[in-house]
Amino acid sequence: MSEAALANTRRIFICNDSQGKPHLVGPDMFPSLELAAAALGHDAGGKASALAQSLKRVEIAFLEDSGNTASPTKPKYRFYYDTQTMGSDGDGTERDPWPDVPTAMAGIERMYRDGTVKPRVGEGILLERREIFTATNHERRKQRSESIAKFGLMLMALMLVAPVLAILGYLLYEAWPALSWEFLTTNPRDAMTAGGIWAPLVGTFFLIFFSLLIAAPIGVLAGVYLNEYAHDNWLTRLINLAVVNLAGVPSIVHALFGVGAFVVAARMGQSLVAASCTLAVMTLPVIITSTREALAAVPQAFREACWNMGASRWQTIRTIVLPNSISGILTGVILQVARAAGETAPILFTGATLYMRVADTGLASYFPYTPWEKVMALSYHLYVLKTQVNNAPEALTYGTAVVLIGLVLAVNSIAIVARTILRSRKKW
Amino acid sequence: MASELNVGEPQGSRRKSASLGQFMQVLADITEPTVELAIRFCGWSAILFVLAIFFFVFREAFPILRGFDFHEFFTSAKWRPDSQIRPTYGILALLAGTGAVTVGSMLLAVPIGLGAAVYISEFCTGRRKEVLKITIELLAAIPSIVWGFIGVVALGPVLLYIKETFGFAGPPMGLNVLNASLILALMSVPVIVSVGEDALKAVPDSYREAALALGASRWEIVYRVLFPAAKNGLLAAVLLGVGRAIGETMAVLMCTGHAVQIPKRLFDPARTLTATIAAELGEAESGGNHYRVLFLIGVVLFAVTFLVNLLADVAVKGIRGSDK
Repeated sequence: MSEAALANTRRIFICNDSQGKPHLVGPDMFPSLELAAAALGHDAGGKASALAQSLKRVEIAFLEDSGNTASPTKPKYRFYYDTQTMGSDGDGTERDPWPDVPTAMAGIERMYRDGTVKPRVGEGILLERREIFTATNHERRKQRSESIAKFGLMLMALMLVAPVLAILGYLLYEAWPALSWEFLTTNPRDAMTAGGIWAPLVGTFFLIFFSLLIAAPIGVLAGVYLNEYAHDNWLTRLINLAVVNLAGVPSIVHALFGVGAFVVAARMGQSLVAASCTLAVMTLPVIITSTREALAAVPQAFREACWNMGASRWQTIRTIVLPNSISGILTGVILQVARAAGETAPILFTGATLYMRVADTGLASYFPYTPWEKVMALSYHLYVLKTQVNNAPEALTYGTAVVLIGLVLAVNSIAIVARTILRSRKKW
Repeated sequence: MASELNVGEPQGSRRKSASLGQFMQVLADITEPTVELAIRFCGWSAILFVLAIFFFVFREAFPILRGFDFHEFFTSAKWRPDSQIRPTYGILALLAGTGAVTVGSMLLAVPIGLGAAVYISEFCTGRRKEVLKITIELLAAIPSIVWGFIGVVALGPVLLYIKETFGFAGPPMGLNVLNASLILALMSVPVIVSVGEDALKAVPDSYREAALALGASRWEIVYRVLFPAAKNGLLAAVLLGVGRAIGETMAVLMCTGHAVQIPKRLFDPARTLTATIAAELGEAESGGNHYRVLFLIGVVLFAVTFLVNLLADVAVKGIRGSDK
């Protein structure tokens, strides 16, 4: 409530414990409602006092203890007065308000004596000046339903935020004993019941690298085609439909495709290459879509200016369109990285392996896999630890989960931050 | 003569540079069509890959199709691929499992997802909006294997406790249809929120302004104006959520309890089509009947999700059409 409104508001407390003392305890403290009514009553000339006339709002609260004026009171009864009304009397309702504050106070006092108004401790009486544009009951009902709706919707949104925080907190708490630099840099030992996660971690990076090598060029060029070359015809619509459907194909079907196409038909066997190819096909639609959006954000005028200088279509794309959209394209590629890092199903049968002995130290520990071998991967390692290894320590499993989730979230955060910064620096 | 020579030399060098330029020109003439060809080819690759997925999955399943008992396949709940006497391949129980967790998760995810989409799109602005959107993006980024892990280690014990305390019927385990539905709901909500929000954003502001001018409150605008105007986009959001729930693999593999039966209650364990492939393909003998049937399930899954995505696409195209 603003200062001006407060000046026009008067809070009056009625408190029995000042009984016996007929005078005001404080400026707004009265021993009974009768005295309060008298204080705001008519002056000798039968008119409302200047103070009473300036009031817009009178709140009357009943207290048990006169020291307790800060405690909130709920306005249980609402009455209105309006100096503009024609009639002399009223009943204090919104439709038929009292003509002024003294009459209103007298009315309230009368009703209090009748027992029509029986506020308990903690409840109050509110007397308001009726505004011409005051909220009607209908309006108030609308506002109430609006605030209920808003609250409910906010609750739904929060129901999505809360689990993320709870899950992250829980995993981090359980994994805390295992997390250390050694955990990241040592290989699994003793049938995977001890040691760290170096081998699967490197395997995941290898998978990401190779799948990126395949998916990024194809995806970016496909995005370029769809935004720069394609006309609005049936072929383009078919491509769009294919992209949407490629994104919607279940990951396990991608796995079956990987087995059918790469492992069996292309004779790659279960290997890093086969798994990377499968991941590449799976993440292609993400790159295509984001590249296309990034390219579409470059204003058409840039291209037209370049064409007018005599540049060909490809020259325009190479020198104008791609440099201006590289940030958006990179964001898409980074998101692909995050997705590829977390996927398990597509690599299950195309190249992931339960355990592989790799070098612990030296250069060989950084390049432990050849393209035609199976690899360990972080996501599959988590699955194995939880479901296949019987006596894996809990902290080890939680630690793996936290590293995996941390990796994915870190990559995602990079994409989000990059996008935010680049969006704010946009030249057009 | 001398003058000719003098003139000739610069001419010669100029001719040389011109020939270099010509060479570059020729190179550019060759490069440009080559690059454009590569771009066109990559552009068409999406179609190629969709066809390739269908082709290669179907190719592995094909040899079993001769004399295959499709009636048993779709109507029998007996999934006994390892039986020595007579292996039976009935996927009814698996279909029921997929159906149960999909319906269960959508009952939770659709109202919450659409509610959150409305809240983000219509009721909040500025920093709060950004924070909510980023959090939901992060929700989408959590890998499915981690969701499965959470379902097993965190949600499972909680559900078991609830079941024991309130005496719900069902086997004494925390991995069941309800667990998978809850996890799947959290997994498919982000897609519903982001597509739903896009659909609401696509409704022109003039609609909102007109409704405001008529005295509507914001909630009235939402359910009287925005929902009817954006219904196709919202439908697409729901369908994409359904597609995601049907296709999800690792999380349901870990959370459903892995029992081949038609689930009758929330606390019954079940098994889905996707989980069956993930669990059994590694053990199935390559080229054997079991292996081929698993690929056939893959074809079924592919067809179902293709249909759902197609419907979603048609729904989205619907709003674009009505905007024009």
